[in-house]
Amino acid sequence: MRITTGAKAQHPKVDSSAEQATEVEGVTTERRSRRSFVFFGALAAATMIPKASRAQAPSRKRRVIEKDPVDVSPAIVPSESVAAFAEWDSPISRLVRRATLGITNAEVARANQLGWQGYVNYQLNYTRINDAAVEAFVAQKYPLLSQTSDLLFSAAAGDIRNQLIESTIYRAAFSQRQLYHRMVEFWSDHFNQDIDKVGYLLVADQRDVIRKNALGRFPDLLKASAHSASMMAYLDQSASRNTAPNQNYAREIMELHTLGVDGGYTQTDVAELSRVLTGWTIQGRGNFVFNPAIHDWGSKTVLGVTIPAGSPSLGQDGIKEGEQMLDVLVNHPSTARFIATKMLRWLLTPDPTPTQISTIASVYRATGGDIKAMIRAILNDSWLPAAPMKLKRPFHFLASALRSTTPTVATLSAMNQQLSVLGHPIFSWDTPDGFPDKIEYWAGNIVPRWAFGTTMSNQNSATSIVVDTTAYRAGSPDAAVDLIDQNFFGGEMPLVTRTGLLTYIKAGTFTDPRVRETIALAISANAFQWY
Amino acid sequence: MDDQHDADCGCQEYNELSRRQFLATSAGVSAAALFPAWLPKIVMSKNYSSTRDIIVSVFQRGGADGLSLCAPFADANYYTSRSTIAIPRPDSTAATKGINLDGFFMFPQAMAGGAAGTGGLIPAFKATDLLIVHATGQLNNSRSHFDAQRYMEVGKPVDPSLVTGWLGRHLASIPPLKPDAPLRGIGVASGLQKTLVGAPRTLPIADPTNYTIGGLTTTQPQRVAFLQGDYAGADEPLHSAALDATNTVSLLKSVNFSGYVPANGAVYPTSSFGRALRSVAVLIKNDAGIEAAQVDIGGWDTHSAEDPIAGSMFRTMQDFSNSLAAFYADVIATGYSVTLVSVSEFGRNVRENGSQGTDHGRGAVMFAMGKGIAGGRVLTKNWPGLAREVLADGQDLQVTVDYRDILAEIVQQRLGNPNLDFVFPTWKPTMLGVTR
Repeated sequence: MRITTGAKAQHPKVDSSAEQATEVEGVTTERRSRRSFVFFGALAAATMIPKASRAQAPSRKRRVIEKDPVDVSPAIVPSESVAAFAEWDSPISRLVRRATLGITNAEVARANQLGWQGYVNYQLNYTRINDAAVEAFVAQKYPLLSQTSDLLFSAAAGDIRNQLIESTIYRAAFSQRQLYHRMVEFWSDHFNQDIDKVGYLLVADQRDVIRKNALGRFPDLLKASAHSASMMAYLDQSASRNTAPNQNYAREIMELHTLGVDGGYTQTDVAELSRVLTGWTIQGRGNFVFNPAIHDWGSKTVLGVTIPAGSPSLGQDGIKEGEQMLDVLVNHPSTARFIATKMLRWLLTPDPTPTQISTIASVYRATGGDIKAMIRAILNDSWLPAAPMKLKRPFHFLASALRSTTPTVATLSAMNQQLSVLGHPIFSWDTPDGFPDKIEYWAGNIVPRWAFGTTMSNQNSATSIVVDTTAYRAGSPDAAVDLIDQNFFGGEMPLVTRTGLLTYIKAGTFTDPRVRETIALAISANAFQWY
Repeated sequence: MDDQHDADCGCQEYNELSRRQFLATSAGVSAAALFPAWLPKIVMSKNYSSTRDIIVSVFQRGGADGLSLCAPFADANYYTSRSTIAIPRPDSTAATKGINLDGFFMFPQAMAGGAAGTGGLIPAFKATDLLIVHATGQLNNSRSHFDAQRYMEVGKPVDPSLVTGWLGRHLASIPPLKPDAPLRGIGVASGLQKTLVGAPRTLPIADPTNYTIGGLTTTQPQRVAFLQGDYAGADEPLHSAALDATNTVSLLKSVNFSGYVPANGAVYPTSSFGRALRSVAVLIKNDAGIEAAQVDIGGWDTHSAEDPIAGSMFRTMQDFSNSLAAFYADVIATGYSVTLVSVSEFGRNVRENGSQGTDHGRGAVMFAMGKGIAGGRVLTKNWPGLAREVLADGQDLQVTVDYRDILAEIVQQRLGNPNLDFVFPTWKPTMLGVTR
């Protein structure tokens, strides 16, 4: 079918007259999909949409596109809540989509066997999942990752960057510890650092802060981050001193890492905390150290907690002031709410309810910030099946394409490059808020995803990546599309996509190029962008 | 101007739409979430089209140090506050001295094309096409990059219910310059900047020179047909994105980026900012119907080793000014109806910190450039000075001009949009004579 905005024939006076507005309104009503209805229902749709339209068949009626207005303003709607495809009717498959970086038949089978809670626990107890093959690959291909900063100091910056990026892609795509890597991604953004600024220091931060604590306790994670040379460098803490404190880290640890911007701190708290943290710095080639010589020993008050004046004779004990404040931060009720809200957004819904937030925040408080306990409470079988879909960010999209194509990998340098093309060069987001997790940010960048589908499906080099299409070509074109359904959509491919792929694959001769093009279209399809 | 477009306008001069109708036409049901109920009604008029400028909106992300971008050398406190990072006076003998603008403010050499002070932004300034606004910014006091950027882009402080950007609402409240343009707005970025959220037919395109779905040319139409069908029933915002994307792929395929020769011998820097402005220039000259472009330049968060003489701030300013200078020579000086305006979320502390840098502050500078801009001067409103007793919170240049006053005048006078209370809700702008 053809989509066109060339509606001039129907609307010679394309403008914003009331007449046209009425007409457009009619189209708009017809367009309401079940999905957007469900989530914007409370806002406006409820009064406009007949109830019957909710009970829609899986193949949703295609909208009347020819009537699209040309000249009035069809503003793009940054919907953050898009209900799941009607075909996604298996609750446990929805769990698999959320707990992984791409649904596969093997994971669905495992989840069905273990049951809802069993599968959540299986993924949470990640150290019991044998990941030896993946770790062996990583150890062999990316040896810099296990080195200390002292050794990394003399390694080539480009090698460090590539090994960090490519190992992260490899693990995300091929590790069995899928939920763990979802959380590694989450915390890497929460404690974002730009490798252009921190260089090799990031290796230790990723290894000893993020990957070590991704499913641990939040207080341990926060404290590990606060003792990370990389974080000290990134947020200029290493340049702060008693004579002129630098406020960068003191601000962001409250705004972005713990309390949240509305968490109840003031500019005075920022200034005072920056004084508390003077002396937290780096020595040598990237080791955290407390330097009492540049610590501000005067008295300070942060968030109502007063730290009395000390003296340089206390030496290393000066670090206890900062440690005390870290405890204040992780125990603050705003932190519980902030972390709960952010984890809910990551794992459940872009728009968590106040009840959901207070429920998860109370789990944080009751368990001392146990990340596993919070996830267990978030991924429950009543909230998740009713949750809206989330748009895969490009990293997730790319990892899921690797999971679905199950290629043989010699090197991931091509995928490393593709991540940049897709607009998601991990470890290179320069500001400390991390890559956004907002539909409105990512949705417009769709053409690079379509181009990636072509790039991915045509990988066929033994020295790089091989996508083997033998199985797709073994039977009929119908069987090939069935296999695509299984491998890319967990057997829940929307009807519109199935119909489109069948039409496409049958429109040419059933050869390898045609099959690869069809796989490219599956990766490009609407349903493959969501989880 | 597009004749067809004007011919179509057999309508009354002002088509007043009720807010409800506007919402229905613009974005359907979900517009309720997009445009909060309190937004005023808008006026749609077509007769502005022939006089409208294209706007290029630049965001200097990170909180750009206005006291380095345009330094008040005649304020003695500038030198006492910045013992290691001040720019030497224009009348000094220092090799790194600044370039005098008006006897009070100066450009650092990075902004003026070097020691001779005849390059960079100087030609635009001397031609009175470049206006610098000083001690400007947001009246609300947020020192968070992310809050400050967000509210600046949204165009209304501290209102979480408003998610659209000011430029997005501008495009949504005015008819297109070309009715059939597939792409009205472009964010030269991998993700849509908040400034543009809510804009119809607007996409983020990181590299307009390479915007293709790839693969065999022979099968491309069939594959595009699949995508159009597959996304036809997609929910917003993916539906519009896919539709606009397929149309834009065709548009950009017809644009010759690689063979482009800028006018007046202009040379765009090869930086991402320079390349972005070059692409925007190509699109403008191609008459593709682009009305708004949002371009970002980072690197302004100079907490340490700022060094506006030779270091990181120097390089960032040089990139900024050389890119703008190329755009000026190539597009504005050649007579295209374009206004460029830049903002930053806040300025930086007056006093440098212990790391030869500056922490987050308040008052900043804006730049506005175009044939319709009353430039050649540094616009201030009761310059508050840098004496400690007059600093905001004892540390910052005060904000004396709300950035919306500048933008609103441009939106009304240069972009022909009368809906200022829709673009900048609740703000009653003061026109400061920014435009001619």
